[in-house]
Amino acid sequence: MLNNILKTSRQVLYPVARTFSRSSNKGNVATETPGAVSTPPATRSPLILPQDYTNFLPVSRSTARQAWIENTDAVAERKVGLIELHPDVFAAQPRVDLIQENVEWQRKYRYVSMAHTKNRAEVRGGGRKPWPQKGGGRARHGSLRSPMLKGGGVVHGPRSPTTHFYMLPFYKRVLGLTSTLSVKLAQDDLHIIENVDIPTRDSDFLKDLIAERNWGPSVLIVDDDHMFPANICQASDDLGYVNLMPTFGLNVYSMLKHDTLVLTVAAVKHLEQRLLYQLNRNDAASKGGKFKLDQV
Amino acid sequence: MATCAKLMLGSGLCQKLSQFTRQIHMQPALLSSFRSSREVQELDKYPEVEVVANPPEWRFVERLLPVETVPQPLTKPKYPSGWRPQKEDGSELGYFVARTKNHMVPVYLHTRFRGQRRITVVRRVQGDIWSLEKDLRAVVEQSRNGKLCATRINELSGQIHFHGDYVDVLRDYLKEKGF
Repeated sequence: MLNNILKTSRQVLYPVARTFSRSSNKGNVATETPGAVSTPPATRSPLILPQDYTNFLPVSRSTARQAWIENTDAVAERKVGLIELHPDVFAAQPRVDLIQENVEWQRKYRYVSMAHTKNRAEVRGGGRKPWPQKGGGRARHGSLRSPMLKGGGVVHGPRSPTTHFYMLPFYKRVLGLTSTLSVKLAQDDLHIIENVDIPTRDSDFLKDLIAERNWGPSVLIVDDDHMFPANICQASDDLGYVNLMPTFGLNVYSMLKHDTLVLTVAAVKHLEQRLLYQLNRNDAASKGGKFKLDQV
Repeated sequence: MATCAKLMLGSGLCQKLSQFTRQIHMQPALLSSFRSSREVQELDKYPEVEVVANPPEWRFVERLLPVETVPQPLTKPKYPSGWRPQKEDGSELGYFVARTKNHMVPVYLHTRFRGQRRITVVRRVQGDIWSLEKDLRAVVEQSRNGKLCATRINELSGQIHFHGDYVDVLRDYLKEKGF
């Protein structure tokens, strides 16, 4: 079955081959021998998850991608199976400009500027006409705090609080997610694990795992469910650079901030289903137009 | 006599009809508004109802509902609208122009300055956009009898802009190429 899948997909994921751990030998996907790796006592059949293109035909079938499913029950890396990723989500043409727009939006839409300057009404004093209109030889003034004078109010200065809220168009955000996922996969920073169950509560387990498998300094672990098992919660609690996130919290900024992105199989399926629906929906025009705050 | 009887019958019917219509309009509409509706009574006072999940008649409702996602077009040898399915892969040419979600060729016309400036935009370009621009510009200049056409490439967003209205020319050319 493995051979069939490899035959049908035209492009084998060579970049993933480079994410093998330092201990394992460098090999091509097809020639990897499972017998060479020391298997644990309870051996299961490999988890092969092919993609069915009946619902959503990809834009370009030739860019189909495959990735290993890795284990989490031990520090040493072991390939538990193979998953075929939909190219529209994980092999999309990365729109770098949209990634930048998404990051900028995520930084700015929550920002409230507290800078404040006083205008002529707020500056202390300046209610009385300083000198009579005529006869002094001086310029005529109505108040000592007008913007023309020293010590006067500021005309168009910052007024706190100023919101910088805006919504990026819906499809820019969707394409930002697909572009970032594709970039992460193409740059060997995406790993797929079977589930989030780890054997111990010790954070040293996670540290050793990350070091052994050459994952980046910071790791973002994404699962389908918002409730994570207790072991991984406690293990990652002390580590500031290992963060857990449900799929509904996935965003471009976090994916770029963390060096390595680790998805569970359930998270991959959920992301594919949601993103492919948004990319192929019939009423896409309803998502265009002005963003209305208090409406669904 | 017969005619009299018919007339009498007719008048009787007419009277009854007029009485009926008067009743409808004089009395308030029953059970059609909240305040005139009867209050909910105990369930055993209502007739027996069988709840069927997914009855076979539901397909008559389903076929009227709009589809959620854009369906795949039916395969035909020729389409009267001139639409052609995408065949080209882009692996030989080095570039690829993706179709939109509605399976259309992504060539658009942007007009500005009250229609005086017309710019043809080719979007969703992947791969070697420079060689695609060269090919498309040759097609456009050939349609202008050799006059040059100004273009602009945005490599990051995968777009090519052409000065002028060459939407039909470029769409036909891309369809011929198989994109």
